[in-house]
Amino acid sequence: MNPINRFFDSQRRHFEKGGRFETYYFVYENIESIFYPPPHVTTASPMVRDRLDVKRFMFLVVVALLPHYAFGVFNVGYQSHLASGLPPDLWPVVAKGLQVVVPMVVVTYAVGYFWEALFATVRKHEISEGLFVSCALFPLTLPPTQPLWQVALGISFGVVIGKEIFGGTGRNFLNPALTGRAFLYFAYPVQTSGDAVWTVLAAGRTAPVDAFTSATPLAVAAATETGSVPQAWVDAGYSTAKLFFGLYPDSIGASATFLCILGALFLITVGVADHRIILGDILGFLATAGLLNLVAGPGSSPYLHLSPLHHLLVGGAAFGIAYMTTDPVSAPAMPGARWVYGFLIGMLTVLMRVFNPAFPEGIGIAILFMNCFAPLLDEVQVKMRLKKRVPNVR
Amino acid sequence: MNTVHIKKGYQLRLIGAPAAEVEVLPRPARVAVVPERLRFVKPRLTVKVGDRVKVGSVLFEDKRHPGVFYRSPGAGTVSAVSLGPRRLVRHIVVDLDEQEAFEEFGPIDRGELERIDRLDLIDRLMAGGLWPLVRELPFRDAARREARPPALFVHLDNLDPFHPLPPVYLRGCEDLFEFGLRALERAADAPVNVSLAKENAAAINGLRSRITHLYTGNYPAHDPGVLLYRTKRSAAENHSWFISGQGVLLLGQFLQEGRLPTEQTLVIAGPGAQTPRHVRARIGAPIAALGAGEVPAAGIRCVAGGVFSGQPAPMDSFLNAGETSLVYLAEGAESPPAFRWMLPGREATSYSRTFLSSFTSPRDRSMSCNRHGGLRACIQCGFCARVCPVDILPQLTYKAALAEEVEESLSHGLLDCVECGLCAFVCPSKIDLLETLRRAREAYYDDIA
Repeated sequence: MNPINRFFDSQRRHFEKGGRFETYYFVYENIESIFYPPPHVTTASPMVRDRLDVKRFMFLVVVALLPHYAFGVFNVGYQSHLASGLPPDLWPVVAKGLQVVVPMVVVTYAVGYFWEALFATVRKHEISEGLFVSCALFPLTLPPTQPLWQVALGISFGVVIGKEIFGGTGRNFLNPALTGRAFLYFAYPVQTSGDAVWTVLAAGRTAPVDAFTSATPLAVAAATETGSVPQAWVDAGYSTAKLFFGLYPDSIGASATFLCILGALFLITVGVADHRIILGDILGFLATAGLLNLVAGPGSSPYLHLSPLHHLLVGGAAFGIAYMTTDPVSAPAMPGARWVYGFLIGMLTVLMRVFNPAFPEGIGIAILFMNCFAPLLDEVQVKMRLKKRVPNVR
Repeated sequence: MNTVHIKKGYQLRLIGAPAAEVEVLPRPARVAVVPERLRFVKPRLTVKVGDRVKVGSVLFEDKRHPGVFYRSPGAGTVSAVSLGPRRLVRHIVVDLDEQEAFEEFGPIDRGELERIDRLDLIDRLMAGGLWPLVRELPFRDAARREARPPALFVHLDNLDPFHPLPPVYLRGCEDLFEFGLRALERAADAPVNVSLAKENAAAINGLRSRITHLYTGNYPAHDPGVLLYRTKRSAAENHSWFISGQGVLLLGQFLQEGRLPTEQTLVIAGPGAQTPRHVRARIGAPIAALGAGEVPAAGIRCVAGGVFSGQPAPMDSFLNAGETSLVYLAEGAESPPAFRWMLPGREATSYSRTFLSSFTSPRDRSMSCNRHGGLRACIQCGFCARVCPVDILPQLTYKAALAEEVEESLSHGLLDCVECGLCAFVCPSKIDLLETLRRAREAYYDDIA
């Protein structure tokens, strides 16, 4: 028996019924089960159970997000050095990135875990691992300059209002990470929008160096009044390759479209994300933006002429499609409803981007909006499906 | 002959499949009937400890259906009536005599079989105590004498690991099977559907003409409820009867000989069995005697009736007539290796694609009764709906059942449920879906009874 095992065996009695820390059993259980899966056995048929549990299901999403963190750490440092006029050497860049990202992640997990543990302890159920996905997603959607107290507030709102008041993971109808993100957007617009928030400047600097563009591609697109949007991007220094690889000032990890594609493929391969939602999203983007291209006349805003593929390339589109829309809890459960759900998210995102100047990026709001309609979509398909059954009543 | 392709379901690849040779086990010292594993039955005992019984003497009657008797599988002295909590009758044990006496019911030959009145035939089968081998959908209780079934389903094999293989238990019994099938055809007075897995079809040439459905697909493709769901055209067919292949043999033998049959073929198999095999054993034989030479180690669970739909059977229990599967599984009550949930999982058995094993060539693996995770709320992964062989949405049906929304759960197809247990097997949140659905079905059955 190894030392870790011995440690848990010696400590367990304090947390079991009658022990000194009986109240905190569920926190203890959560920590122990990270090391050792619980020794529970089946009591009812079937006698054997699948190896997959929620822990692994959620863990695979976190695995898919790890490359985004690696990318985010690099990009935050890289943009900071560029904007501050420092040489972009690898190690100083990584160090700067870690200095910004690690505290945000630590705060997110600490605060998120606190709320989850509190609710689990009071409700006397085990801690659900959905929390770890929400806490992994949340910092990636934030600008790197977000104050830590706002990070704490955002994840608190996401976990408590987005999830716990409805009963915890599995009973929430909104995506908790996005709920927290939307809360920050509406509560603290100064720190979450505009051009300045996407780059951390070196200590002592108040403005980026002159050659540095800090406007995000979406801001550039919305501001373009003549000519074409792709041309405006090129003028602002955003080549297609740069947009694809995401090396520009943006939220911490959401800009890397290529990582989103890899992550989505990974999640579809292991069967954690539903390809129906992802393809539905993409179809929604293609159809809506394609339609806008068709109806746009020579005098319309250049944004209407922006091709669907460009829409998919910028902002949080790819990140939202790969990781936010595919959350099985807040998405509809039925296969057909998932296609519709995805399609409408894509459609709403494009419409919001093009027609609503108040929201430079629409996907977060679009997902939350469609989260609310997921039960309705399910209801419709379930009704249709049940009609087809040969009744079996008595 | 129709071929039915069942696309859903899941075939568990488990080590410990039985060898095809049949070992004839020696006569045990005692046999028993186990009412606690006879579903729905409420026994009213007619014997007490010390009574002398013959093979075929009445041991108890079903309180719900006076006239449905359960008879002794051996002759000798009633040595124990074991009671469980709330005076539940666990088993009634008979110590066997050296020379066993039989109750005689009078044999019946082919010619008589064609002439006998349908209800007389049923009464004769009921008197013999084997009638409850014929079950009635959708609740799977014993068939009702007064019912007119729209069809009778005979399933020759059972894909729930592990059950006797039709080529093994039917070997040399083709005529008896024909006889039993004819009797059932007369008793049901309805079309008889005999189903067999396509891969076993070649091994059973003698009965080819009687087989109506060949199926392909995963567990539980064998289940009559699945076949019915795939073939039914109207709600009238929901009340079909069904019986297993060995049940047909037992009924046939009873009619032909006029005595209660005393033997059945069963499998002793599974990852915990030392020599997985078919055996020919006494009906009602003690599990301990069946495992002779097995000496199951501590921490082995004995399951009667297959790993998915079976129930745990303690070592001091016995096997009823029709219980033809005994699977030994490791209890698995210890913690698996550290951080196993993070590892690629080359050896993991899973319906999902979340382990490396899904991407390597499939092979048989060991499993224990470990639940592999803590209880969580449903996360709508949808695996249960994808695996359900009768297209129920278990994740919604079980919520309706828990909320006691009877109408809603019925409209979801609660009564189509074949109780295969796959929904609970695949659930990553480890929700006991089967248990909930089963209880809801039984509650509804009680309600309308």
